[in-house]
Amino acid sequence: MTGIVRATGLVKRYDRTVAVAGLDLDVAEGEIFGLVGPNGAGKTTTLRILATLLVPDSGDAEIAGASVRRNPNDVRRVLGFMPDSFGVYDDMKVWEYLDFFARCYGINAERRRRMIGDLLELVDLGSKRDVYVAGLSRGMQQRLCLAHALVHDPAVLLLDEPASGLDPRARVELRELLRELRSLGKTILVSSHILPELEELCTSVAIIDRGQVLAHGRVADIERRLRVGAVFRIRVLGEREAHEAAQAWFAGQPDVVTSDLLDDGQIEIGFHGDDEGSARLLATAVGAGLRVATFSRAASDLEELFLQITAPDAIATGVPA
Amino acid sequence: MTAFTGSRRLRSLRDVGTGIAAVGVKELRGRMRGRRAFVVLTVHLLLVAGFAWMIEGLAERSVVFGGSFSASADIGRQMFAALLVLLTLIVLVLAPASTAGAISLEREKQTLDLLTTTPISSLAIILGKLLSALSWVFLLLLASIPVTALVFTFGGVGPDDMIKGYLVLVGTALAYGSIGLFVSALVKRTQAATVINLVTVLALTAGTTFLFVFWLVMASNSGVPVDQSRGNAGPLESLTQHPPEALLWLNPFVAQIDVICGTETGFGGSCSIVSGVTNAPGAVNQVGGPDQPFGVGRDTYWPRSLAAMAALSIVLVVLSVQLVSPTRRWRFRLPRPRRRPAGSDA
Repeated sequence: MTGIVRATGLVKRYDRTVAVAGLDLDVAEGEIFGLVGPNGAGKTTTLRILATLLVPDSGDAEIAGASVRRNPNDVRRVLGFMPDSFGVYDDMKVWEYLDFFARCYGINAERRRRMIGDLLELVDLGSKRDVYVAGLSRGMQQRLCLAHALVHDPAVLLLDEPASGLDPRARVELRELLRELRSLGKTILVSSHILPELEELCTSVAIIDRGQVLAHGRVADIERRLRVGAVFRIRVLGEREAHEAAQAWFAGQPDVVTSDLLDDGQIEIGFHGDDEGSARLLATAVGAGLRVATFSRAASDLEELFLQITAPDAIATGVPA
Repeated sequence: MTAFTGSRRLRSLRDVGTGIAAVGVKELRGRMRGRRAFVVLTVHLLLVAGFAWMIEGLAERSVVFGGSFSASADIGRQMFAALLVLLTLIVLVLAPASTAGAISLEREKQTLDLLTTTPISSLAIILGKLLSALSWVFLLLLASIPVTALVFTFGGVGPDDMIKGYLVLVGTALAYGSIGLFVSALVKRTQAATVINLVTVLALTAGTTFLFVFWLVMASNSGVPVDQSRGNAGPLESLTQHPPEALLWLNPFVAQIDVICGTETGFGGSCSIVSGVTNAPGAVNQVGGPDQPFGVGRDTYWPRSLAAMAALSIVLVVLSVQLVSPTRRWRFRLPRPRRRPAGSDA
């Protein structure tokens, strides 16, 4: 293990409920690392342990070499945290809000003044400097909260469901912002329920359920390792007869597990193959005279991975991480 | 090794100072923003000044001029006593009220996590909150000094008496502010914290007074000599002894009465109340106190009361730090009800 964020055997219980059950993590420097899991999987508890807000019952975690158990204060100096349900001091002005947190890190007045201007530009709130926090929209407050986590220029950012409650535009802006932060050398751990968004953003993911990591690594690597199939939707030009013929044709192809004709005339196939296989299938279909208008995945890779890995039978048999 | 430990301690101290300053500046910015602070300050001064003027008018009519050399001094003493009681009342209301939301509001607004993931310690958060809340109370007290100083024009009260009175006020603000802070850290809702604070203030002032008087009456009516009653262990039997003065240490009114007693000549008035509390000779309903010469023990009660308030403040700050710290060592847990064994009847 050589990552900037490492966790070994983390366990956290709330009375009789085990929230985190021997969780291991290894996040390399400069990654945008996604924590994926259903509600109650242990994502928030894991992030709160890493943020030194909870003490694990057993196991330990290190951030930039500092242990969350032994040196929580050292961890706090290299860490920026944005909780799931965050609040803001709404009776403060935007600049005062950042100034307060910068003071908490002992940053001197001259540096604070410069840093506040830079951060407000980074999160696109430069024009809101003297506005009360209560007057900001939810998306702006989210960006301000992210800016607060950056006042001390931390190496690692922990973001718990940062896109929750945001409209599509604000989500896109947040995604762009996180990419920009990565380009500045930050390592970002982000948990989210919106899987396609994480898939676009993250360099690696960990799929968590019942407090354990079920799969861990790059999405493509996990997919290859698990040989998980994909669902494709195909639209063929023509009338009902042409659609039925195409559905029958796809059903007869190797690696196609299921083939269904949907009400809107599209054909949905379950395909057990890699990208090479799907490209070959499309070429064969066109070669066979099918007038294929669209050929696309019905769900994102990560969604499929997530659904297959967290399926009860998959958990029972054990999926290699 | 020692130098290393020393520099680490120095850094910790500096961090606590930085944290207190950060939290203090934030809190004071919020409190002093807009017109509210100045309106409250003006109303406070008008109230204190108006009260002083009314007391002066009443005292003038009750004091017989020409009958005694100390008529003017009597007016001064009466004004001083009334102002100390009024200021104590103000502090008792404002100190716990200004700290009641210190931590619970952070929880309600979900900002406590943001605060505790910064390097500032829980001690700095608690002290920053307490000092900024109390600095507002201290400002009100400071502003009242010129009005209180008017009593010097009448005589009967020395600067040392005023210093003692204000020391008790500061101690009261510290103790009751700490109570407010502790309750705020203990309960989740500010509304609940405010109600608990109010009940606590009533219990420590009116409650302790009632309990003391009840105990005193029971003891004075028992007719059992104190020396003989000491062997009895039952709770009712212990009521035959004089109630301990410690029962009233956290009641700032009694401490202020002792300060007022310090201004009086002769014995009687507030001094007889204090000696009743301390069980000194000449006390009202005295129960077998030590045989002290007259006057001994005067002006010694309020320092004990002040020390008790300071001690309470320290204990409550330590407990509040534990409650706020995400990695606290002590956990307060209510006992869980035991499960009935399977198969037992409901």
